[in-house]
Amino acid sequence: MTAAAPASDTPVPVTASGGERGGVRTMVRYALRTHRWAFAGVAFLGFVGPYSTGASYAKLAATAAARASFGRQTTAIGPQLAYLVPLPIRPDTVAGYLWWKGLTWMTLVVAVWGLAAATGLIRNEEERGLMETWLATPFSRVRLLLSRVGAFAIAALGAVVITALGTAAGLAAGKATVAFPALAEQGVSVLGMALASFGIGLAAAQLASTRRSALALGGVVMLALYALDALARVNPSLDGWAAISPFHLSDLTTAVVPGGHFAGAPTLALYGIAVVLIALSALGFWRRDLLGSLLHRRAGKTRAVWSASTVPLLRIPVLRTLWQQRIGLAGWVIGSVAGAAFIVSIAHGTGKLLQSAGGFKSYFAAAGTSSAATAVVTSVWLSIAAVIVAAYAITQTSHWASEDAGGRLEMEIAQPIARWRVVAERAVTLVVAALLMAAVGSVVTGAVAPSQGVHLDTGALVTATALLALLALTFGAVGALVISRLPRVAVPVLAVVAVAGFYIPLFAPLFKWPGWVLDLSLFHLYGTPLTTGVYWTGLWVMVAIVVVGCGGAMAAMRVREVGR
Amino acid sequence: MADAIRTEGLTKDYGEARGLFDLGLEVGPGEIFGYLGPNGAGKTTTIRLLMDMIRPTGGRAEVFGVDCQSHPVEVKRLVGYLPGEMPQWGGLRGRDVVAYVGGLRGRIDPGRVTGLAERLDLDLGRRYREYSSGNKRKLGLLLAFMHPSRLLVLDEPTSSLDPLIQQEFYRLVEEARGEGTTVFLSSHVLSEVERVCERVGILRRGRLVQVARLDELHHLRYHRLEADFAGEVPADAVRALDGVEQVTVEDHHLSCTVRGGFGPLLQVLGKGQVLNLVTHEPTLEEVFLAYFRDEPEKAPVAPGAAA
Repeated sequence: MTAAAPASDTPVPVTASGGERGGVRTMVRYALRTHRWAFAGVAFLGFVGPYSTGASYAKLAATAAARASFGRQTTAIGPQLAYLVPLPIRPDTVAGYLWWKGLTWMTLVVAVWGLAAATGLIRNEEERGLMETWLATPFSRVRLLLSRVGAFAIAALGAVVITALGTAAGLAAGKATVAFPALAEQGVSVLGMALASFGIGLAAAQLASTRRSALALGGVVMLALYALDALARVNPSLDGWAAISPFHLSDLTTAVVPGGHFAGAPTLALYGIAVVLIALSALGFWRRDLLGSLLHRRAGKTRAVWSASTVPLLRIPVLRTLWQQRIGLAGWVIGSVAGAAFIVSIAHGTGKLLQSAGGFKSYFAAAGTSSAATAVVTSVWLSIAAVIVAAYAITQTSHWASEDAGGRLEMEIAQPIARWRVVAERAVTLVVAALLMAAVGSVVTGAVAPSQGVHLDTGALVTATALLALLALTFGAVGALVISRLPRVAVPVLAVVAVAGFYIPLFAPLFKWPGWVLDLSLFHLYGTPLTTGVYWTGLWVMVAIVVVGCGGAMAAMRVREVGR
Repeated sequence: MADAIRTEGLTKDYGEARGLFDLGLEVGPGEIFGYLGPNGAGKTTTIRLLMDMIRPTGGRAEVFGVDCQSHPVEVKRLVGYLPGEMPQWGGLRGRDVVAYVGGLRGRIDPGRVTGLAERLDLDLGRRYREYSSGNKRKLGLLLAFMHPSRLLVLDEPTSSLDPLIQQEFYRLVEEARGEGTTVFLSSHVLSEVERVCERVGILRRGRLVQVARLDELHHLRYHRLEADFAGEVPADAVRALDGVEQVTVEDHHLSCTVRGGFGPLLQVLGKGQVLNLVTHEPTLEEVFLAYFRDEPEKAPVAPGAAA
């Protein structure tokens, strides 16, 4: 006869909903919930991007002759853009063009999503103290990490399915069809890219000690892998090295293109990268301290500091915020400089190719110039600059919302300053930062343009730069107003405003929308000030939005309850 | 001279009987006032109303005669504030936070900052995210004490502090009182209130149920008495006495609580043969717990107890 086991040895169920399996389900559900907004955004882009590409192709190249001509032009332009996207394959077909312009960009989108999701999930949960709570339950670290991987895989699969639907819809709009297996093969490749990026982000999160540094480390790695792929496109001797880049492995699958193929081994390698990195991350997460990093830095002997910082900028309105954000802001400025330098440096070559292709004359007309190179600078670069400052404004809005939620606003207004000044200072800070980014970009543009045979009017360049700051403030004003009532939805609202603003000018001519619909796009309101001068209607509408947004936010701040 | 804090009918109604209701409170200049109550009683709500973080649904509040809602900036010039929860300063170093908040306020004496950092043993060179919860609290105290103020509003100031730093905090409060500063501190740590406060206000479910000097709270106090008898315990006579409660008798052992004087009880006990007699005064903590104890709910039935 054996003695009964003591009560304390009796296994205790992990959760009330059915033991460890129930716990895993709970964790996966929680992680899925954290992905919902990003999933919505990626799925939206995944559907609208390919669909609009297919639909616009049908309009641009309606006849066989037009398609052949369009294909020749795109093939000629392709090498100019090889640093950004793969060379086009069969651009004389809607499927080929859709793969090149729609799906290769989608690969970048899911890569960014995977990286941000992985670094954000693990590190963010640690910084918010949630991880400590999860790990206080009888739930192993490895299981917890795998539940996060599973949730992302489910979300990514959903986004890929919607992208496949968008691709099918785009092809149908272009009066083409694609076989289901080809669509599935392309989707498998995109999903592999998402998981590999997630793996990179997860690994970075084990090596860095904060969410930001993990994102930065993962971003640098991804950028290097992207650059390796881009360099290999223009320098075939690097082809062997490029095999380690998930971007390269993903580009090799061209299943939806007529005559294209599914690159089985490279796709398997993509999943292999994901599995290896996730496994290493699990091992790293198991070994490291919570809130710590695998890369231990031995603490040196440092003297304690008993005094306040002597940096004078911290005491000056506006500059105090810019000083705190100096590293991030430097990144944005460098991004603007790199973008301006790259786009403007290829303006002459790209413009020449565009000019030789008759189909782009209307494009020049829209840009307000007969010079193709000038059109590249004014339309392409300034459009990208507008997107950059809008993205910056959205990140600032996110920053404001987290300041409010994190108690910093309470501490600020506990000091003897009027509440409206908080809104005013945020707005001025945003303008100064956007102006800095735009101005540095414009200086580079002005410096590089003459070497491309583009001679820009200095006054117009100054005006275009100033209007970029106004555009950023317009986004910021909308964000400030939404934050004052619904802080949690401010960033999603602004993202919708930005994405809609980006697509409206693309869709409006296709679907013959009236002019006022175009004015709903903040990017359209910005206009093409470098060539066609100030779009005054747009300017006044932006000013009105700023007045209403900032004024409303100031009024709301006066009566708003803080810290409830 | 105007009261340091004066509220009239101050109400913040969140619905479902949650919030703060009809608060009438006066705190004199130079006073150290303890604001007591269990979690959710309305202590932080009161403080946030004083600091104009939230808006009242009724009534008004003044700090040194200045209306908190119509002239909040003037009020904040007079006040040093420690919030109940520290804000997230992320990767900023402690010294940057001090400079930043100092810049928002204006005149800060660097010597005072250094003195406070040394006394609180707070290394300002470290990043905020690396601070322990105790160090975060110390930084909050430094921010509240670093500028001259006429009123200190401190929301649960010693939570997360180790005993040594708590002592330093009490000294800081004493020094502030010496300089004529009024201190309004919320707490549910009774020993802390006993140690530093002159008067206390007790909140319960959003209503101020008592304002008194500490010594005036003694009517709330009671004594616990234990006695062993050689023979029969005069239980019925004890139970019949006014002010004697919770009488339990086990064999020759008597246990009860006594409010007010001991005279009548001792007379009754003298009729028996007392072998041993022990009394002890409960701490304010126990008084407080007894005061706020809700009506007991139905006790859970132990397995197997049912017939």
